[in-house]
Amino acid sequence: MNINVPRCGSLQFMARDLCDRLGLGYVETPEYSERTVEIGVTLAPELVCFPMKVLIGSAVEALESGADTLVMVAGYGPCRFNYFAEIQKRILEREGYRFRLLTFDSPRDTPREFYNNLRALLPESRTGLVGMLRQVALALRKGRALDEIEKRAMALRALEAEEGAVDQAAAESREALSAAISKAEIEEAGVLARRLFGRVALDDERPHLRVGVVGEMLVSMEPYFNFDILNWLARRDAAVERSLYTSDIFTPGGHPVLGFDDRMIESAASPYVCHEIGGHGHVNVAATADYARRGFDAVVHFFPFTCLPEVIAKTVFVRIAGEFEMPILSISIDEQTGRAGMQTRLEALVDLAWSNRERKLARGAHARAAAGA
Amino acid sequence: MKVGLPRALLFHHYGEGWTSFLDSIGIEPVISASTTGEVVVSGAVHADNETCLPVKVFTGHLLELREKVDAVLVPRVISQHRGTKACPKYLGLPDMARSMGGELPPVLSPLMDLADRRGRWTEEWRRLARDLGATGKAAAEAVSRMLDSLRPLEPQRSAGEPTGFPVGVAGHLYNVYDERVSLGLLDRVRSMGAEPVTVEQVPRRDVRRQLRTLDRKIRWDFENRIVGAVLHWSRTASVEGVVYVNSFACGPGSMIGALIEDEFSRRPSIPLMSVTLDEHSAEAGLLTRIEAFLDMLKHISRTAPPGRRPRGGGP
Repeated sequence: MNINVPRCGSLQFMARDLCDRLGLGYVETPEYSERTVEIGVTLAPELVCFPMKVLIGSAVEALESGADTLVMVAGYGPCRFNYFAEIQKRILEREGYRFRLLTFDSPRDTPREFYNNLRALLPESRTGLVGMLRQVALALRKGRALDEIEKRAMALRALEAEEGAVDQAAAESREALSAAISKAEIEEAGVLARRLFGRVALDDERPHLRVGVVGEMLVSMEPYFNFDILNWLARRDAAVERSLYTSDIFTPGGHPVLGFDDRMIESAASPYVCHEIGGHGHVNVAATADYARRGFDAVVHFFPFTCLPEVIAKTVFVRIAGEFEMPILSISIDEQTGRAGMQTRLEALVDLAWSNRERKLARGAHARAAAGA
Repeated sequence: MKVGLPRALLFHHYGEGWTSFLDSIGIEPVISASTTGEVVVSGAVHADNETCLPVKVFTGHLLELREKVDAVLVPRVISQHRGTKACPKYLGLPDMARSMGGELPPVLSPLMDLADRRGRWTEEWRRLARDLGATGKAAAEAVSRMLDSLRPLEPQRSAGEPTGFPVGVAGHLYNVYDERVSLGLLDRVRSMGAEPVTVEQVPRRDVRRQLRTLDRKIRWDFENRIVGAVLHWSRTASVEGVVYVNSFACGPGSMIGALIEDEFSRRPSIPLMSVTLDEHSAEAGLLTRIEAFLDMLKHISRTAPPGRRPRGGGP
């Protein structure tokens, strides 16, 4: 059995880790490329959203490189993602691929299907059902540790005194984490990561921006689709926070890496969005409102063309941007998105954020001068 | 006090209930006039450009009302039946309306969660009624009147066996029954000598039977209805062909469109034509396509002997 899951944030890392733990074969998903998109666009129906086209292209590439069992996560949310896997299966079958598709929904929605899916993996795995669940929890814990490393790196990269120091700390932390197996070892790797990042020399005096990155999972997390936004912003002296982490998405009840539980999401998103709106719209609005309240300089919002929850978020962002005087750039991504256009708009956003910053500083200096006089 | 109701989206399903709710607490409901070209244009200009056509039309209706009313009623519809969920656009509709800022009067957005326990979601309506000045008794009365008119959940439009040359027209009620949005599709089909049959004319029982044949359940209620009805038409060959009407950027519509096309390609089926509507849709283009499709259907029914006519073998 050669399992494959889509590439999205730390999902690949977690899946490989879990398969190693269970003794299942795993096939790495090829990196996203022009070819992935091309295959996806050719096979997928015209009107479905961009992530679905990408995932179909990516599944084809994975099958070509030897995968025979595709694992998809679906869930029964209101967004169209809940029917992805079924359409994907039909399209790939029509194209003549032979494979097995296991679609995992939340065990709360469809406990029986969830159980059956696990049962399908059991015969080939070296654990029993209980052991399997325990390994899933450990893999998730490891994914969370990886996401924490990413989070630290994006916050510090713009401030490092010595170029490459943050990336090196991240690489070393990741290496230590990869080898960790037991709960204690994972925690140890986390402690080591904190120490490594603590040792990175920072240039605290350097003027920098604070920018939030929010959006739909695939395009906001995968560098191929968002112009490698984390590094791009770091090069322009912006410390970055991001709303989504893959391990958070699999954690019921909250987003521990982001640092929000469900109740905090609800209260942070209010009064802009007062109900769950499917996908990750709610948490994105909550994070953006939080960034605005904390005085961030800008927010970049990536979403697939016509994405249902994110278009609602985009509508609401107009209100948040107005109330807090914080620029929010919504960029819609699809197979037509041009890199040059994206870069121009991002540069304009950064320029705007800097000039806002200077204006605010000047205003503060005026006020101080007036108070002194 | 006047409260506005935009004649768009779910008003086509629940409008009667909402109107009777306002009526019975002594508030004058102001319903926007039928969609016009100007409404579509102003909606398309003011709503986000990536929202679907019905949301743009809804925005146009809201703007139409803003001078005439003291508040607008935009209920947040969460679900229609047990086990189903609404499209995200219905969930976030009040939030989108509020984000239009100073342009709008206050937005009243009580929850409407038909799958949930009645006492729970109707509480918000009772509170709303009291906030609008009704007594506790009048509020309870208004809620029960609303529930009464919701009971026959779908309007029964021209039930009974279709006669003549039946052609299925599948799509959301708010697209199909809005003359401007669908560019008079039903009338056009009729004037070309065919009898349009819509999804709510297919009995729930038949819809459910077809849905059971799908590997994965669809969780959007209206889409369930559409898919079940289309499969029923195809597998019983009870209509000559199907026109599937979808709006551009409609999420659930894009998924079930793909599903229907795939189902139709897997076994002998009746002909299918997909029409995608947006604010740029022009009458002439639509007309030509429907004409061509109907001509083709008539040609098939004339030439193919009844036994050779595509007939689904499904349940």
